[in-house]
Amino acid sequence: MTDRSTWTFVALAALLVVVAGAMPLLADARPAYEIPSPTVEDDLDGTDASGWEDVPAAEVPLESAPSGLPNAEMVSTRSVEVQAARSDGEVYLRMQWQDEEASESASAPQAFADAVAVQIPADPGVQPAIAMGSQSNLVNVWYWNADTGTEELLAGGQGSTTEFEDASVQTWAEHTGSGEDGTWTVVFNRPVDPAGDNRTAITGGEDLDIAFGVWDGGNAERSGHKAVSEWYYLPLAGDSGGPPFESILWAIAGIAIVAVVVVTIQGIRRVRTGGGE
Amino acid sequence: MAHDNIEIADGVDHQVAMVMDLNKCIGCQTCTVACKTLWTEREGTEYMYWNNVETRPGKGYPRNWEQKGGGWESEEHTQRTPGEIPSSEDYGEAWEFDHEGILKEGEDKKLAPEGGKPEWGPNWDEDQGAGEHPNSYYFYLPRICNHCTHPSCVEACPRQAVYKREEDGVVLVDQDRCRGYRYCVEGCPYKKIYYNAVSKNSEKCVFCYPRIEGEGPDDEVHPPACADQCVTQLRLVGYLDDTDGPIYKLVEQYEVALPLHPEYQTTPNVYYIPPFAPPQHSRDGETVDAERIPRSYLEQLFGDRVNDALETIERERQKVERGGYSELMEILQDTNPAEQYRLEVFDDV
Ligand code: SF4
Ligand code: SF4
Repeated sequence: MTDRSTWTFVALAALLVVVAGAMPLLADARPAYEIPSPTVEDDLDGTDASGWEDVPAAEVPLESAPSGLPNAEMVSTRSVEVQAARSDGEVYLRMQWQDEEASESASAPQAFADAVAVQIPADPGVQPAIAMGSQSNLVNVWYWNADTGTEELLAGGQGSTTEFEDASVQTWAEHTGSGEDGTWTVVFNRPVDPAGDNRTAITGGEDLDIAFGVWDGGNAERSGHKAVSEWYYLPLAGDSGGPPFESILWAIAGIAIVAVVVVTIQGIRRVRTGGGE
Repeated sequence: MAHDNIEIADGVDHQVAMVMDLNKCIGCQTCTVACKTLWTEREGTEYMYWNNVETRPGKGYPRNWEQKGGGWESEEHTQRTPGEIPSSEDYGEAWEFDHEGILKEGEDKKLAPEGGKPEWGPNWDEDQGAGEHPNSYYFYLPRICNHCTHPSCVEACPRQAVYKREEDGVVLVDQDRCRGYRYCVEGCPYKKIYYNAVSKNSEKCVFCYPRIEGEGPDDEVHPPACADQCVTQLRLVGYLDDTDGPIYKLVEQYEVALPLHPEYQTTPNVYYIPPFAPPQHSRDGETVDAERIPRSYLEQLFGDRVNDALETIERERQKVERGGYSELMEILQDTNPAEQYRLEVFDDV
């Protein structure tokens, strides 16, 4: 081997390693905490509206919230499947989780209803404390309860939720199947920028932090006794510009492909010009 | 403050209190009905009895409430004891009767609860008691919220919707803050907060605060309805820190009025004069020198201090029997409303 061909071989091998290393990540290019939020033309109004078929889902793991309430660690729901979509000035979220049996009424002293909530910062610029924000950094909560319906809430810390006067959030909900196959599907919908103080404007331009919570009424879950996620985000910072993590991956892949092509062409050229053995 | 030597909750000016003399209770439920008519005839409150009268020994209302936990682990008041929410069956559903059908439409059926034969309800075990003839025994125990000095219901609420009023220590549920989580229901060891499944909020005895404030149509101060309506006038109402009043004397000075289940550590402000019963009888009807209500049972309810309390009362009674004077016996027999209900003593302070 000449020095040149050795160099080429080493470079080629190194680049292949880089590319190969990046491939698995590229195959699932979505960063861990992202909920894809495509713009959808089809109907999204309803738990099985046709538009949902084309919206990718993110599996969001849930854990018990550290509330200090009795039995707080004992929660039933391990994960929730979340789909997000935008359509003509509206934001939609569809959440699905396993629940063997629907608990739909709180009409006896021991009865609690199933519920689900979405939490977003009132000001999308700053990520609030995960446990319902704080007094200086408020959160909006979209809450649905199988017994009492939909509420749009403002909170600044645990135990501080207050209801917005005219809810701008609407929901569709349905429980299907039973036992292992029992599933709740709840769709939240809100205009991207409804009027009113402290209502999150979801107008894009920046990513939107978002977190989720599920209560299993059958397990007497209510208040801070709930299964919650970490902060996730909707990638709204512009259609092409994803978050840095994603961009870096794409950049590495790009450079690798270009380099492989360049080195390969060089090698072929040298073979043709008789530079090889 | 006048209450240097009395334990009153931090941030509370004066503490309302009630003393009930169990020796005068005839179990007529007039107090229960007075409270029900005034406060719990709304939708969702049908099953609630903020004031109930239960037969003891007995399971009480809600059934077996003493086994449902709540309160504090110790007098440090740092750790709460876990509690449970009683079931609808334990409270007893409000029975429906078809008055309309039977009385107006002439339907041929018995006037009985609709929807099957009930198997439990409030006061189900009335007058059952315990013991063998001729020494069976029972007494009545009227119960309301104790407006505790260390209310575990207040501590249990994650939304600070349950609070102890600054002016008089009355414990209330803010109906706007409450979201029906029922941690207070499980946290109260006396099971004196109730969930309203229609309003989706929890509710409780309000110590008739509009009455004691004189906020009624006649602008006059009235004692709580349950006390006012009591046929035998067995309740004294006032402030624990009113050192000239009978409540202070019975609770702090003579120590004959005792809280129910002091081991729950909530420091109740409703106190009871423990019950006396006639001594036991032999099979042929002779009086024997043995207490009819086992002392151990009274200790279970009122703690060890019940022994001293009973002894004090007995001693003072004998004093009067011998023709002497006893302030304690005067207080226990007083029928002067100005002394029985001292609700305006701090008004001009
Ligand atoms: S009796 Fe129960 S409800 Fe009333 S103040 Fe005490 S703990 Fe609270
Ligand atoms: S004080 Fe008033 S509200 Fe409380 S039990 Fe008596 S009547 Fe009912």
